[in-house]
Amino acid sequence: MRGLRLPAWLSGRTLLLFAAGLAVLYAAPLVLSMGDYTHNVMGLTFMFMAAALAWNWLGGYVGQISFGHSAMFGVGGFVAARLALELSLPFWAAWCIGGLVAGIYALLWGHPTLRLRGPYFAIATIGVGEATRLVATYWDEFTGGSSGLSLPIGQGPTKYALYWYGLYLLAGAVALSYWLRRSRIGLGLLAIKEDVEAAGDVGVNATFYQDLVLFLSGTVMGVCGGFYASYQAFIDPQDMFSFDRSIGFILMAVIGGIGTILGPALGAVVFVMIQEFLLATYPQLYLGLYGLLLVLVILFEPLGISGLLLRLGRRLGRRPTPGVAAGGIATSSSAAEGEQQPVLESPRPGQGGAA
Amino acid sequence: MGQALSLAVSAVLLAGFYAAMAYGLGLIYGVLRVVNLAHGGLLMASAYLTWQLFTRFHIDPYLAIPIVLVVFFGAGIAMYKGLVRFLPRGAAGGVQSLLLLFGTWLVLRNVAYLLFSGDDQAVRTSYSTAAVRILGNSFSLNRVVVFVIAVLAMLALHVLLQRTFLGKAIRAVAQNPDSCTLVGIDVERVYALTFGIGAALAGLAGLLASTLFAFNPAFGAEEVLRSFVIIVLGGMGSVVGIALGALVLAFAEVFSIYLVPSYLTSAVGFVLLVVVLVVRPNGLFGRREVA
Repeated sequence: MRGLRLPAWLSGRTLLLFAAGLAVLYAAPLVLSMGDYTHNVMGLTFMFMAAALAWNWLGGYVGQISFGHSAMFGVGGFVAARLALELSLPFWAAWCIGGLVAGIYALLWGHPTLRLRGPYFAIATIGVGEATRLVATYWDEFTGGSSGLSLPIGQGPTKYALYWYGLYLLAGAVALSYWLRRSRIGLGLLAIKEDVEAAGDVGVNATFYQDLVLFLSGTVMGVCGGFYASYQAFIDPQDMFSFDRSIGFILMAVIGGIGTILGPALGAVVFVMIQEFLLATYPQLYLGLYGLLLVLVILFEPLGISGLLLRLGRRLGRRPTPGVAAGGIATSSSAAEGEQQPVLESPRPGQGGAA
Repeated sequence: MGQALSLAVSAVLLAGFYAAMAYGLGLIYGVLRVVNLAHGGLLMASAYLTWQLFTRFHIDPYLAIPIVLVVFFGAGIAMYKGLVRFLPRGAAGGVQSLLLLFGTWLVLRNVAYLLFSGDDQAVRTSYSTAAVRILGNSFSLNRVVVFVIAVLAMLALHVLLQRTFLGKAIRAVAQNPDSCTLVGIDVERVYALTFGIGAALAGLAGLLASTLFAFNPAFGAEEVLRSFVIIVLGGMGSVVGIALGALVLAFAEVFSIYLVPSYLTSAVGFVLLVVVLVVRPNGLFGRREVA
């Protein structure tokens, strides 16, 4: 072990915490007696955590908010389902190919649109999402149209086994999140987020970096879609490609803390809990609740749960070390972001009313 | 040929409604640099208000215009004072304003859903089925009236921005808020009024929409996308630019039936958006950004 040098973006401590977290979650169902329901929902939660992280690479690290990530989720899901149905590929191969196709699809629309910034990009992604949904709904030879696709019974993994596959997926997404933030690329992405032209001046290839992030984000989204197809054993385009699903990814990231390394994963946990416990009882309130959460988080704590944890840490008089919550939400850079972003501050003189 | 002519007239009529729909979004974006994603929610809310006024109080939709304008002007001011005011300005606020106003839209949708259920509604007046003949083809009377009102709204907005003191202040704030404070313009007040006017225009568009289409709480999503396409095509800011943008979009959509299946019509605008943004980032008719 001593002979191997860890790359600069990875500290030994982080690696240890990561391995420990993985081991605990891996062993948890074997040691504890969880009910079937809890066990299955946890598996699904792992997938949503991975998806939220993947959304965050683009929305948080680069600052390009996507309202259309359900497109890649759906593409991955349907390609994986088709492969399982037609070619009887093993499920993991189907997921991977589905993910790759989704990643390539993301590049296809993303390469031209990613040169747009801010609201332009965000609104273009609404269009991407809607166009993809329409095409998928009407292309019934591939997606089964409005009647959807049922996966072959007994061929894929059981929901019980999917817990661990979900965990691997999450582990992969967490590792990628770390690498994308802490490595040289992460610095490049931050530079792009701050000022794309200045980033270009100091030699950051914005086109390549953004394409790379979108491709990775789309691929992981696609794999998540494949996982979801296996989990539900039935998928239909109206659900897979729905705008609500895209909103869901945004919400997870916003609740957890946009742009932080692990915040979106926490957000996903909260999101699933809201969905499973609150909305099962009051299904007619879900849009309003999502909306209200968005408004409240943006107005009062733009870093979401991560921001709250940072505040709590400071209240307790300690700088959050990298390592809180199974790997750490706080890097020096995200801590600094927290300080720079009091919402109620108006950066321009003369807009006193905003203070 | 006859068919193409009929389609062309149809496109012009549609462009009127599209322009009315885009004014509010364009004005707010031009002055505050905030994309009002709640725009769709305002359209939807206004359609419901018009419908309620018509079914409960038997007020003709077109006579309800002053009521709707006043209500939505107030709603816009309230939205500014209660929400938008707290956002940071400039690039940093872009992402936050999108998410904040998007959240507002979701809340509006949910409220409408709780009040009126998710069923489709429509305003059916005694003249809803009446038709007029233009160039040898029949068109619904409502579409023509909507077109006329949209043109009047364009003129009114143009006069407001170009000929009044408030309009001058709005244009000045759009150009440079800091300098405005130096010459004694209350920037916050102008922002609030602009948001109010933008919301009132969204209200007007929602009223017009309720006479043309059936609507439900989800109404407005495609309209926001279209409005955005229009303000991008029009090069942001100028009222005439928006009208031209609406014309381009309407023609593209109407004539796209020759090329693509009809369910893809709403994707036409998106393709147009991407092409224009990539080829001419300042819009088809924009020079540089002047609001």
